[in-house]
Amino acid sequence: MSAGGAGGEATGGIPQNKLIALGTLGGLAGAYGGHFLSVASPAFAFIGALGAICAIVWGGAAVRRVASYGLGTGVPSIGMMALGMGVVASMFGLAVGGIAGPIVAFITAAIIGLVIGVLANKVLGMGIPIMEQSMTEIAGAGALTIIGLSVAMTGTFMFDAVLETVVATGYIAVIFIAGGMAILHPFNANLGPDETQDRTLMTGVEKGAIAMVVAGIVATVADGASAVPTILIGVVIWYIAFSKYVKLVNRDAYKVLGTGLLPTEEELE
Amino acid sequence: MIDVAGIIAENILYIAMVTIGGMLISWSVHFVPVGGAPAAMAQATGIGTGTVQLAAGAGLTGLVTAGAVMAVSDSPLLVVASGGVGAMIMISVTMIVGTWVYVYGVGVPPASAKVDYDPITKDRQDIYVSQGTEGHGLPTVSYVSGVIGGALGGIGGSIIYFALMSTSTGLTQSNLVALASIFAVGIFFVNAVIPSYNIGGTIEGFHDPKFKKWPKAVLASFVATLMCAFVGIITIGGL
Repeated sequence: MSAGGAGGEATGGIPQNKLIALGTLGGLAGAYGGHFLSVASPAFAFIGALGAICAIVWGGAAVRRVASYGLGTGVPSIGMMALGMGVVASMFGLAVGGIAGPIVAFITAAIIGLVIGVLANKVLGMGIPIMEQSMTEIAGAGALTIIGLSVAMTGTFMFDAVLETVVATGYIAVIFIAGGMAILHPFNANLGPDETQDRTLMTGVEKGAIAMVVAGIVATVADGASAVPTILIGVVIWYIAFSKYVKLVNRDAYKVLGTGLLPTEEELE
Repeated sequence: MIDVAGIIAENILYIAMVTIGGMLISWSVHFVPVGGAPAAMAQATGIGTGTVQLAAGAGLTGLVTAGAVMAVSDSPLLVVASGGVGAMIMISVTMIVGTWVYVYGVGVPPASAKVDYDPITKDRQDIYVSQGTEGHGLPTVSYVSGVIGGALGGIGGSIIYFALMSTSTGLTQSNLVALASIFAVGIFFVNAVIPSYNIGGTIEGFHDPKFKKWPKAVLASFVATLMCAFVGIITIGGL
């Protein structure tokens, strides 16, 4: 476990290639699994959200790597950019791709991300060696997050249903912010000299679970997806991830002391 | 399969408009006095939050006002002007309330550390800058610069929205509004982040030496928005 910090590459923990595999395969498997199994029973829509969590963890890890170099501005910017690129690419992919929608969206996002990464280094002169790769990863993760959560909300990634239930109703804004938060928040909350990869990624799982619960709540109004399994599984994942996160905080902290409640006014006198 | 070449040929004007909108947003961010976290602690000139949040706040207000006007009018000028004015109002309110907080709450005079004299009021700046800080609050020049930035950002955002809304499509009106809005928001965020990397997160306004770097960000935004414009127009036009 080594520490990330401004000015250098964050290292340690699970190699990035494994996380890329987890995010890509998990994200696509979640989207397709949720889509096809929802035909059998709407209860399986939650698989889409599990795919989104895989993509979120991957995105969080990519943000951690690139933001460790110091972006010159806050970490949130890159998360918002991820979802900005992701939303453009995923709507395009789902609209033109049909059954190949998630794959088309993913590839489109990766291309947009790669070009923006190249521009950041070549035109803006940011000089971050992994910028091209990270931007590609972050855009791809953003697109898969949006698609995964859309599947959890509607039970399908067919564009008509997504447009009707997710976009026209404005829930896409919820996905935008909840998904963006889940990707940007893990590193933003944990950064510093004592940052460790497992703790950061656990925050990602926990934030992803919150997004899953939100998707479940939206699913209450959709026909193709049932809300209860998504909400219940989301709450269970959130609880497990949060307990694990608290354990990791206790492990990484020098000392944890209880200060008790704030003193009342009488006690202060 | 959708006729990609046909859609592009039919809507080439709107692709150009979206791209111009993105470049305007990118340029506008250089005008907005953003101080980031240091400004939140009154240790740097500008508003105490990040570029993206400010640009998004002002730009999205511009989108909302543009959308509202578009529902009652077909005139592109009116839509674009209302978007600009909406964003100007939003950023002005943010800056004036920020100034009250800095002056009456934190207790610092608005002062720029980048110039010795305010280019607009000619007031002396350097003697009011607290030691160890990069200036604080919003001096007049930053305020004026911010209002210009708000106007450009709002105009850029509403041009994108207008172009996407005008694309020939088979979508129903409500679906088109939703899709055009989310595309405009996505493109807006991309173009708000690119310049913020260009300026390294903080800038005081058009008097700041960093302002001269704007052509780089506008060039990067041109390429990035052009891609997004093709993708967005093909999506909307193909439905």
